[in-house]
Amino acid sequence: MALNLAKRRKTQEDDDIPMAPMIDCVFLLLIFFMVSAVMKVPPPFTVTLPDSATKHEFTRKKFNLFINSDGRISIDDQEMLTLEDMELFIAAHENQITTLIIKADKRAKHGDVIDVVERAKMRSSKTEGLEIAFAVSEED
Amino acid sequence: MQQVGEAKLSLLATKIRERKPPTLSMAPMIDCVFLLLIFFMVSTTFSPIPGLRVQLPPPGKPSPDKPKGLTVRIANPEPGEDRGTMVLNDAVVQIDEMFNQFINAPDEATNMLIIQSEREVLHEQIVQVMDIAKQAGIDKIGFAIVARD
Repeated sequence: MALNLAKRRKTQEDDDIPMAPMIDCVFLLLIFFMVSAVMKVPPPFTVTLPDSATKHEFTRKKFNLFINSDGRISIDDQEMLTLEDMELFIAAHENQITTLIIKADKRAKHGDVIDVVERAKMRSSKTEGLEIAFAVSEED
Repeated sequence: MQQVGEAKLSLLATKIRERKPPTLSMAPMIDCVFLLLIFFMVSTTFSPIPGLRVQLPPPGKPSPDKPKGLTVRIANPEPGEDRGTMVLNDAVVQIDEMFNQFINAPDEATNMLIIQSEREVLHEQIVQVMDIAKQAGIDKIGFAIVARD
């Protein structure tokens, strides 16, 4: 009697959808997304990007440089208090930065932006210099 | 005897029923994995960042004294205004005329645009000028930097 019950239960389980392949797939997807994920790191201040009709597309990477309208600078969420700090940070992570994307606010002053560009360029030991781009708004 | 046997059998049955199968419980793990998957799927951004490339001369080398190309000079905006006055080849130019000026410029001049801008000019205006230049087919855009101590 009890044996019969156990058997019945077993056959009932066999009728279920097989879980193992699904779990395999989910794991694969999980690993893929974990590896490819580049987290969006917001700066400690808000930045409104300028609009532009022509735009080149750059792959999303770590280390974006933000400049706000008051001239505050941050690399990802780390605020750089002086230009020297920024320069040292760029020098320390030089191998990981191929294109320095500068996300400057619409109302940022050109002087502040150009200071950053100049510093970043000076710092780079590559002969052709660091590639620099100004980010523009994603909307058309 | 029969009764004792039946009691023993029912005891056995409960024992079998109570004995847990020696497998890991998968359900909580799958739940976690699904949650992680959803988190990563939602937080991953594949869209590229739109931007404008800035061409700069190699570091350490002073720029040639007389670079060929167009030069746009932008003055600091007046207080309360957003745009500074722009000067292209010694003539004041408005933003909407700029495209035609670039298109009509002689060929040897249109390979490069140099933007000489004062410090207080807003970044938006610079990007606008760069945008117009790119639309007019000028790929190289450089910035003149005033030497300061």
